[in-house]
Amino acid sequence: MRRAAIIGTGQTHHASKRDDVSQPELVREASARALLDAGIDAAAINAVVISSMELFEGRALPELWLGEAAYAAGKPCMKVATGGTSGTSACIAGYHQVASGMFDLVLVVGYEKHSEGNTQAGMAIVDPYWDRAVASGALGNFALSISQYMADTGVTEEQAARVAVKARRNAARNPYAHLQMADITVEKVLESRMLAHPIHMLDMCPQSDGACAIVIAAEKTANKFCDRPAWIEGAATRHQQPYIGDIERRLTTMETLRSAAKEVYAKAGISDPRRDLDVAEIYEPVTYAELAWYEALGFCGQGDAGRLIEEGVTEMDGELPVNPSGGVLSSNPVGASGVIRVAEAASQVLGRAGEHQVDGATTALATGYGVYAWADALVLRAMS
Amino acid sequence: MIREGSIRLPFAYAAGKSGSTYLRALQEEQRILGSRCSACDRILAPARSFCPTCGDAELQTVEIGPGGVLLAWTERPDKGILGLVKLDSADTAIVHRILGSSDVLSTGMRVQARFGDASDENPEDSLLGFAPEVADS
Repeated sequence: MRRAAIIGTGQTHHASKRDDVSQPELVREASARALLDAGIDAAAINAVVISSMELFEGRALPELWLGEAAYAAGKPCMKVATGGTSGTSACIAGYHQVASGMFDLVLVVGYEKHSEGNTQAGMAIVDPYWDRAVASGALGNFALSISQYMADTGVTEEQAARVAVKARRNAARNPYAHLQMADITVEKVLESRMLAHPIHMLDMCPQSDGACAIVIAAEKTANKFCDRPAWIEGAATRHQQPYIGDIERRLTTMETLRSAAKEVYAKAGISDPRRDLDVAEIYEPVTYAELAWYEALGFCGQGDAGRLIEEGVTEMDGELPVNPSGGVLSSNPVGASGVIRVAEAASQVLGRAGEHQVDGATTALATGYGVYAWADALVLRAMS
Repeated sequence: MIREGSIRLPFAYAAGKSGSTYLRALQEEQRILGSRCSACDRILAPARSFCPTCGDAELQTVEIGPGGVLLAWTERPDKGILGLVKLDSADTAIVHRILGSSDVLSTGMRVQARFGDASDENPEDSLLGFAPEVADS
């Protein structure tokens, strides 16, 4: 395995509707910004990985007709689609292509344009016998798992609402974020419409149009183009997609994320994540998931996540800021969301996160979460 | 410029060996089938063709339910009540409709399967859902 690093990132302005651009133009917007940030020419890119959940924008074969928008003409190009983890899995695929010695420079670009398709219809194209009537869509499943998590840990609706407040206030300092709400309060979250008990509207991520790209480089190339590369110290992906009821207490146990985190922490020499990490960008499609991930990722003990958010540990000025970008709760173009986690973690380590920069961030965690229980994790680090 | 439209998407879906066995038992006999894994000894619900964790270990079809325990539930204005139900003798739960009013529901309560007639196109609808068990008086 060769060493590999992220040397540039780029993303679009995310919004509920980007009807000013076509899908290829959206992808080019993020890709061009990533190349500019990395300081390389398109011609230098050896291969491209595209991430999208193609049914969500009602257009088939994105890797075919979006390749040129991602500078892939005449080059190896493939697509990764694993639900919410698509973006992080695509970044890990790109990392493997570089670390294996296959390519020196790989562009990974994730995108989604929900406004042009019908995401609910896309998610309904599942097994009609078992899943379609009772299980299609994320909401019902989350609600069931969340009610068990609340019973197991004593986490409250107020504590979950604090996650929504943190995310949207952080997003107000991120020019690319979709939902920027500097004046959001716990009360406003609790007063927002009940979608599926106990999930309120403001507990849930939006659907966004947007794209995000990163440039991954092999060691020599990374050092040539970047004076402070974001080295990929560990990357792990875990698949688990059984019947919904097979994992009885999904949010409480989340074995896939625990296992992925354990592997990347070991590779990066992280023994106490709350102390050893400077910042984390984690994939939280719903407020309660962020709390459950705190426990799965070892930021606190089992059942202590409610206290962690109350004590402000994960706020911008806390010991371990989580999702300075505003997270998935603030921007969610699904195929891009995982790439955004990695790009934001990389930007923090590169020192290029602008108004939401965590001062002196050197070590960052990025995670992905998809479908029922897929999980990805990456640790990025700058050499000081 | 924006072009709007829609595409009809017909589909065919094979329930497969274990799925067809499960659906036939449901539709013709109002029985719910699961599978016991010879390696991990768990009874998986519903019946299936392989254990998700034990490779090619042999499975045996067994009857589960029709009573069970409500592990969790939620109510959606658009879809009614959804519950996570662990059927008697099964080791994994299933997600299904919970019938009746949510006012009487509590986690850990006993529920019973409710069956009805279903068409050959939708044999899965033979299992209408689960309702709180009526206590013997």
